[in-house]
Amino acid sequence: MTAASITCTDLTIRFPVYGADAKSLKKALARAVAVGGALGRHAGVTDVTALSNVNLSLKAGDRLGLIGHNGSGKTTLLRALSGAYEPDEGSIEVNGRIAPLLDLGLGIDPSATGYENIRLRCRIAGLSSKEIDARMDEIAEFTGLGPFLAMPVKTYSAGMKGRVAFAAATAVECDVLLMDEWIAVGDAEFQQIAHKRLLKLVERAGILVLATHEAPLLKLYCNKVMRMDGGVASEIVDIRKLDDLLAS
Amino acid sequence: MQTATHMLRTGQRGAGFQFRMAVRDLTGSFGRIGLSWSLAWHDVASRYRGSVLGPFWITLSMGLMVLGIGVLYASLFKLSLNEFLPYVALGIVFFGVMTGTINEGCDTFVLASGMLSQTSLPMLTFVWRTVFRNLINLGHHLVIVVGMLIFYGQWKVANVPLALLGVILMVLNASWLSLLAAVASARYRDIPQIIVSVMQFAMFMTPVFWLPDRFGKHQIFLDLNPFYHLLQSVRAPLLGQTVEVHSYVFLVAMAVIGWLVTFAIFANTRRRLVHYL
Repeated sequence: MTAASITCTDLTIRFPVYGADAKSLKKALARAVAVGGALGRHAGVTDVTALSNVNLSLKAGDRLGLIGHNGSGKTTLLRALSGAYEPDEGSIEVNGRIAPLLDLGLGIDPSATGYENIRLRCRIAGLSSKEIDARMDEIAEFTGLGPFLAMPVKTYSAGMKGRVAFAAATAVECDVLLMDEWIAVGDAEFQQIAHKRLLKLVERAGILVLATHEAPLLKLYCNKVMRMDGGVASEIVDIRKLDDLLAS
Repeated sequence: MQTATHMLRTGQRGAGFQFRMAVRDLTGSFGRIGLSWSLAWHDVASRYRGSVLGPFWITLSMGLMVLGIGVLYASLFKLSLNEFLPYVALGIVFFGVMTGTINEGCDTFVLASGMLSQTSLPMLTFVWRTVFRNLINLGHHLVIVVGMLIFYGQWKVANVPLALLGVILMVLNASWLSLLAAVASARYRDIPQIIVSVMQFAMFMTPVFWLPDRFGKHQIFLDLNPFYHLLQSVRAPLLGQTVEVHSYVFLVAMAVIGWLVTFAIFANTRRRLVHYL
């Protein structure tokens, strides 16, 4: 198996943001009739350049922290790395199994139990039913939720949901872990075991890309840092230069 | 494990490239067809969580509708229950599956937005999920079908292999309609209401609970109604009647043209779909 790596070359992503008006067929038709289809056809649609010419090269063992203001393109970059967003220009190449932990709600069915949700998430991540059966005990233990796992997830607190999602998502051996902010969920005890698991993952020659606003988290998990600003990425620098980067 | 360990995405454009990517989505979704099946089972199981009868609740209400409409129309049109009740039962069950597949198609991508916006799962995986979910429902409703056929002795004349061919044609056609509904509804949020109205109108215009021989000189309206042919190809063999050859021609043509057009639309909108959601 080749070692994990991520390469982005001149990655540019633009996407239309549709307002409520643009999502209505009736209004679109009315506009087309009213103005002959030429003008105003794109009313309510705004084109956003979320990433422009991002170059990125990560190899096994890299733990990259993404910083930047809200809307600077951190999440878009993570979504692109997960394979959900396709580039408009440039390319993305990822070697290794990707585990996206961008949204706690991925594959979470509030009315289903914790067990069922773990099963569902693992199925989505590519495990077979048998593989899930084999790992269920271990995953259940990791969540530390015990008997609560048999209850519907809608009765959980945010921290409990985070435990289920994190346990299920990291149950699959992955080489590239993409995380957005919410690493901070869970109580101190869970943060500690989550921390151990993350470190283990990185030791396994994996790559971590973590988007966050919190400097302590960055210093805890990352050895490199990159700053996003309006879709433009800075150079990747060593974490020790974080303060310089924040100051600039 | 089936998860890709290498991913390459480029900003390449062009119809040929988009088409190849759509084909890759298609083969990818077949490669992970078990996932669609698991998701469909999960949907069915979670929808009926906590109810004793499970999905048979719908079967029960459908059975009552069959009885009610069957007895009412039989007496209105002075038909024999022996023939009319199985006819209505098959009509309601199979038309219900078609309607379900198409109407629920509207939600296919919208409900999957969480997964589509952070994984590289094939988009068609979710279309098959909707199709499978409705096939699982059909599996439950077969109780009504089998019950009627046995009770009224139609099983002696039923041509099951031919009916299965009809089911395959129905699934092939309903699935492209479902995909089309999914793409259109992702882009325009008022499409689902339109589709629901159209399907309701279609139910009244199609001989689901009335006999087509009453149509007389307006036969052309039946021949142009795709739902008539879809229903006929499944129902007629089970009732021991013949399906006209032109119905098969119509259905095959509809499946081929429908899939070609819908797949082209899918190929063109695929990379944008996730942004519509």
